[in-house]
Amino acid sequence: MKEKTGIVDTLEERQPYITRKQEKGQTIPLACDNNSLAGAISQRACVYSGARVVLNPVTDAVHLVHGPIGCAGYTWDIRGAKSSGIETNRSSFSTDMKEIDIVFGGEEKLSNAIDELAGIYHPPVIFVYSTCIVGIIGDDLDSVCKTASQKHNIPVLPVKSEGFKGNKSDGYKAACDALKQLIKRPEEETAEKKPGVNPKIRKPKINILGDFNVAGDVWLVKPLFEQMGIEVIVSMTGDSTAKSITRAAEADLNLVQCSGSMAYLAKWMQKEYGIPYQTISFFGIEDISIALRKTAEYFDSEEMKKIAEEILETETNRIMPDISRIRERIKGKKAAIYMGGPAKALTLIKGFAELGMEVVIIGTQTGKKEDYEQISYSVRDGTVIVDDANPLELAELLVKQKADLMVAGVKERFIAYKLGVAFCDFNHDRVMEFEGFDGFVNFAREVDASINSPVWKAVRQRTLEPESLKPGYLHSKSDAAVESHV
Amino acid sequence: MTKRNYTTVNPCVMCQPMGSALAFKGIENTMVLYHGSQGCSTYMRLHLAHHFREPVDIASSSLSEKGAIYGGRENLKKGLRNVINRYKPKVIGVATTCLAETIGDDVPAIIREFKEEEGIGDDLEKDIIIISVSTPSYGESHVSGYIKALDAIVRKFTEKPEDPEKTKILEDIEFLDYMEDLEIIEYAETLEKEKAEENVGEAKNPDMTEVLKSKLNLIPVESVSPADVRELKEILAETAGDYIFLPDISETFDAPLGEELPKIAAGGTALSEIADMSNSRASLGLGVVSTNLAVRYLEASHGVSGHNVPIPIGLSNTDLYFTELVRILSCPIPEKYQKERGRLLDAMVDVHKYLYGVKAAVYGDPDTVFSLTTFMLELGMNPVLVATGSKSRDFEKKIKQIFEEIRPELEPVALDGIDFDSLNDAVSECNPEILIGNSNGRYIAKAHDIPLVRVGLPIHDRVGAQRILTVGYRGALELLDRITNTILEATDTFTAPEQIEPAAYTGQGTKDDCAEGA
Repeated sequence: MKEKTGIVDTLEERQPYITRKQEKGQTIPLACDNNSLAGAISQRACVYSGARVVLNPVTDAVHLVHGPIGCAGYTWDIRGAKSSGIETNRSSFSTDMKEIDIVFGGEEKLSNAIDELAGIYHPPVIFVYSTCIVGIIGDDLDSVCKTASQKHNIPVLPVKSEGFKGNKSDGYKAACDALKQLIKRPEEETAEKKPGVNPKIRKPKINILGDFNVAGDVWLVKPLFEQMGIEVIVSMTGDSTAKSITRAAEADLNLVQCSGSMAYLAKWMQKEYGIPYQTISFFGIEDISIALRKTAEYFDSEEMKKIAEEILETETNRIMPDISRIRERIKGKKAAIYMGGPAKALTLIKGFAELGMEVVIIGTQTGKKEDYEQISYSVRDGTVIVDDANPLELAELLVKQKADLMVAGVKERFIAYKLGVAFCDFNHDRVMEFEGFDGFVNFAREVDASINSPVWKAVRQRTLEPESLKPGYLHSKSDAAVESHV
Repeated sequence: MTKRNYTTVNPCVMCQPMGSALAFKGIENTMVLYHGSQGCSTYMRLHLAHHFREPVDIASSSLSEKGAIYGGRENLKKGLRNVINRYKPKVIGVATTCLAETIGDDVPAIIREFKEEEGIGDDLEKDIIIISVSTPSYGESHVSGYIKALDAIVRKFTEKPEDPEKTKILEDIEFLDYMEDLEIIEYAETLEKEKAEENVGEAKNPDMTEVLKSKLNLIPVESVSPADVRELKEILAETAGDYIFLPDISETFDAPLGEELPKIAAGGTALSEIADMSNSRASLGLGVVSTNLAVRYLEASHGVSGHNVPIPIGLSNTDLYFTELVRILSCPIPEKYQKERGRLLDAMVDVHKYLYGVKAAVYGDPDTVFSLTTFMLELGMNPVLVATGSKSRDFEKKIKQIFEEIRPELEPVALDGIDFDSLNDAVSECNPEILIGNSNGRYIAKAHDIPLVRVGLPIHDRVGAQRILTVGYRGALELLDRITNTILEATDTFTAPEQIEPAAYTGQGTKDDCAEGA
């Protein structure tokens, strides 16, 4: 494929993973969904990491990492996922395996560790994550967890997340498999959840899947549904508790935001409990509107549709002055997106359009074929699309595509900064809510603050050359002074 | 204190490969490659990027299920090839993760094979130098990973051309060491004996003119901040003149914003310098709690006399450092430092009442904690709790020793191998008024409403970790101001509302005036 090569200078084996959208509506084959290339400095993490980021926001669970200290050490409080109550999840529990455990097996230590933690914390659930070496030495996690479950009368759930067993996506699946075991069959079960629950008879119930309440995102979204007369049983997994997850199967509908991590669980719930799902996003005015309208549409209630429209009108009118003002300051700027998952990448394209910005690079760590197809439909001609990018590629792309802003995570932040490109963190450890109406204003403000900071002007002149320095204000001042004297 | 035997809650250490990256990133034109699964490199890159606020590239052999079952040979070779292709490094530091160690990959053998295949020799000038270090996460901590990597670097650059037979023996010994769960000191001794036998009779000739011309090696036993490295280098430039500082992270982890983004950050100890370390007149190791393997190796194998002093944090430790420099170099102490010392003394006098008897808890890496504690003692503070996350045979002994020397009336709680949960319990018992350590102590600070002065690694919730200066008289002065101001600020915050009331002035005295002895 001629057009796929030579966009950036990179390893030959990496070339099929980078492409450029050529013409409108064209689908571009992009290599993806493979293991990272050795030595290519992927930005991806491992299976364990995928499992950990998905499950970690379960607030009252003990998250026990069965492995050596490093794995637990680097994932301590990894997501800025907020809790409205208990915060057991912010601690990092590890069996801290040593040589002796590697040689003789770690099952006994694990079993003792579970006893110990159950005794101290009395958690409603314990998730036990397996790491690389557990897979190698072959500890029987299932049987240890099963025995412990019976002993302590709480679910002790194995999360099979050996780091080398695939990539982050496989970790999402392992996390969902653990969640599946926690979800209980509701007592009064309707064989198939049909749309059109009459809100007058029974309050409709939904789950939000794939929202992790980073910086408190869920708290800006949940009230919108409550206003529409809908009960949000649980947000998985942001600000969730073992008890709320247990009830998830009572829902009439699942709304899936991060489809990369949760579509698997949603599909399972559909098959197992007949709960349909819809993929939505709470980022950007357009996507929030779609989310609310789709939901009201699903329940087929005129009343709900009316309230949804009212919310959308009031809220949009409320934030529009801010958005318009900021839009004036950033429109026409070029953005680069590099995300862990494709759902966030896709919704960001729309968000930038609403701010009058253009996307010139878009990439993800874990996109699949259909994700990239959808991405290629959503971006303009000339946009570079990249899978599993590495720092050198990203750096070159930022320069070549003349990006003004990059939206990504911490590892990418300093690449952008060193190149003099503005940066906005849209990852686990951001401190600002970006979802919902106020979240979108926050995002716009942050983009503005970064792009329009005078530091970038200063950065353009990286070495001091006294002769060439003619500060504008000195110039005009003296000119004015001269004029006034004349 | 809640007794736990099987679980670590909130680790106070990082793992061995992380320490190796801190060492490798301090030498010129070097890339690091972790032999293991992809996540290890990503997590440690993230961790270091958070702390230093710099791009941190670490490659991975990205072992998958297939590699884990059939061995990682091909992945490692491919990783090396791709790193060479893209980054064109002069050195590649290969550190093993627990996965590679557990599947039993013979990394040195794979590297030998790779070098043969690619026609890479051992010439420092012409070839790419590949240094491997065995750093499974289940062995010790980032501190030992750092020490081992430095040792491996020095060995690689100063060793005579490899004799494959002998290398083999060494590997077997390293392997045995792990299996027998030897501590790092024993590990050091075994290797040292091995080397001593090989290199007996290579001790330096005592020709004085030669000695005067040759350099001084400076090797810290655990990572210090880029600002600390800059300060230490400045002192050396003004005393020793010629020195070799290993590892030099002053530029690589704190790079100026330049015209372009280099693939590998500029700076680091020059490779020719490392190769020259075996010709130096002496090595000065910073740190007395952990064993400085590189210093020992240079002494045992190359006859470069080794001296160890505490990391120069605080007055007496900096004094010791200068004294040792003067002794080794027969040089005077530059006037500048006499003045700096005078300013430090002046400041210590200014603030002594604010600090006397203030109960502090200090935690972090063993030697940093040791030196910080010494400083607190000489300030009249009361370090009621002194802790390190690393397992350390000598930590408690050394800590007790400095208390004996400076303020024998105090009885500290000294803990090694702790996690933050145990530290939290210990804080509840010891009731310190100030915490001194890395960012991960912020939960404890918050829970107990105690201010935290951030020193060490990681510091990811504040800016400026790269610029925190703790060494030398200037470092002591900065640290002293930070500690004192933190205490004053805490006092202000708590007493501010009361001061509006006239009652606050009725002769109760402030806490500072009647600070209790311990």
